[in-house]
Amino acid sequence: MYDDRLFWNALGGGTKYTILIVGAVIMLLPFFWMVNASLMTAGEIQAQPPVWLPAEPQFSNYTKLLDTVPLGRQYLNSLIITCSTVVGVLFTSSLAGFAFAKYEFPGKNILFYCILATMMIPFFVTLIPVFYIIRQLGWIDSYQGIIVPGLTSAYGIFLMRQFIGTLPDELFDAARIDGASEPKIYFRIVLPLIRPALATLGTFTFIGSWNSFLWPLLVTNSRDLMTVPLGLNSLRLFAAEARNLDLLMAGTTLSVLPTLILFIFLQRYFIRGIALTGLKG
Amino acid sequence: MTQTRRSTSAGVLHAPASPPHLRRGSLMRQRTIWAYVFVAAPLVGLLVFFLGPIVFSGWVSLHDWNMITPVADMAWAGLDNYIYLLTQDTVFPKALLNTFLFAIGGVGSNVVLGLGFALLLNGKIRGKTLWRVIYFLPVMTAPLALGVIFGFMFNRNYGVVNNLLVALSIPRQPFLGHPSQALLVVIIIAVYQYVGYYIVIYLAGLQGIPQDYYDAASVDGANKWQSFRHITLPLLRPVTLFVVVTNTIGALQVFDLVFATTNGGPANSTITVVLHMYNTAFKFSRMGRASAMAFILFAIILTITILQLRFLRDRTNE
Repeated sequence: MYDDRLFWNALGGGTKYTILIVGAVIMLLPFFWMVNASLMTAGEIQAQPPVWLPAEPQFSNYTKLLDTVPLGRQYLNSLIITCSTVVGVLFTSSLAGFAFAKYEFPGKNILFYCILATMMIPFFVTLIPVFYIIRQLGWIDSYQGIIVPGLTSAYGIFLMRQFIGTLPDELFDAARIDGASEPKIYFRIVLPLIRPALATLGTFTFIGSWNSFLWPLLVTNSRDLMTVPLGLNSLRLFAAEARNLDLLMAGTTLSVLPTLILFIFLQRYFIRGIALTGLKG
Repeated sequence: MTQTRRSTSAGVLHAPASPPHLRRGSLMRQRTIWAYVFVAAPLVGLLVFFLGPIVFSGWVSLHDWNMITPVADMAWAGLDNYIYLLTQDTVFPKALLNTFLFAIGGVGSNVVLGLGFALLLNGKIRGKTLWRVIYFLPVMTAPLALGVIFGFMFNRNYGVVNNLLVALSIPRQPFLGHPSQALLVVIIIAVYQYVGYYIVIYLAGLQGIPQDYYDAASVDGANKWQSFRHITLPLLRPVTLFVVVTNTIGALQVFDLVFATTNGGPANSTITVVLHMYNTAFKFSRMGRASAMAFILFAIILTITILQLRFLRDRTNE
């Protein structure tokens, strides 16, 4: 009886790992194939019968890519836009979250529900008017045109309010007795204590902003403002004509690298953030 | 409003640590002012980028507008845009159907695969973090980039998938190049991208179920299937509700992935509502019609969400 169970457990464990490994291979295969193809010659990629691995890794694809595409500029643009968005969202969300969690003021509840309601509004409903507003402001083809509409984060305010709500009031009252002003309380007490929540919101905002495509596509025209996804899009259209699939795969590899590296280092913040929102529902 | 004020003063009276030597009135007023300063930026954002645009969008949907003529001179169209979309537009019904199929296929697969893999990862497993990271990688990747990679892998002539098929003596498939296969391939890519997210959510849900329940059930002689059927599934219902609702809302808005793989083709077989709306607005400058499309989809999303909440919640009460 005992041996029997051991046998079944071992078998069950074996199937478990087999399924997990098959799943993991499927998950990794596109990334592997992207890197693999980025090291092939254009001829090898299209060869029939197929070539599975490069005869000799063509690292020159990457240098060729850097010669043809202003990749540095695109990274710089993405970095400027993403970092401004992250800093802006963290600052405004934590400040508003603090007010909603720890202050009483007329209209507080209505305002908070309005902000929650915006989470339900799909992006495409406001797309045309916001585009129009940005154009009227003369912000087409500018960093602020890409950044500013993304600075109001209902999700961020909600997350921060929940987190700051758990901090004890005595902390703030003690600081007030010591003569601290309200902004000072925010900077000296709230900000240091909510670092984990900031990390969670910051990583989510970073990924969302770095990967965002439709909005930058709409509000920019010039090559000087191309972000990494926009650059990939134009490389895709260029490669479709010129059949430069080696360059396309090298470009795709370089475009997905930053978020993947960021994720591998900060994965616990993601998992925690998702677990938090998931369990709320 | 008065209620808020009353609760405010009550809060002050009972605040244990408020210093008695300070003038309470002016202090409170000062704090209220600071609170307004703190919420000022999101408040402006809310007005300028959400509330204002929604009203404006609704107004535009009742007009003919190309975004070039001044707002004051927009030609009134009444409900013409809506009527046109629902009765004459040949692409819109196709886009609606594709969007629904995309959502149904994607949500169904994500629930089954998400729960399945979460169950596998929930037990005693070596390298749990590593598995989670691997399954989560595509979630982090731009849909555009995944579209490029999969478009390359599924290419008819040189794609690795077709090369594998040929190696197995199966004829080459057009995949994204044929109306009968393109949507299915797009759904597969979308599931590939987001299933890791739902695995993590289900995993969090599974970890929230107390072990005592399973212990009690096994004392009563329940087998693994019975515990799963009568403990795990019912207790995971809120998580499934969350997965179904959020995934449906997201799937009905799909744009980037379709844009990068098929751009709606071939023969509109993968066109979605948001892509059709994007083309209508920014290729053909028909802002009124595009806004009407946005409102129809918005209404559909709201209705589906309410139905899902009601249906799935009611069943919880059974």
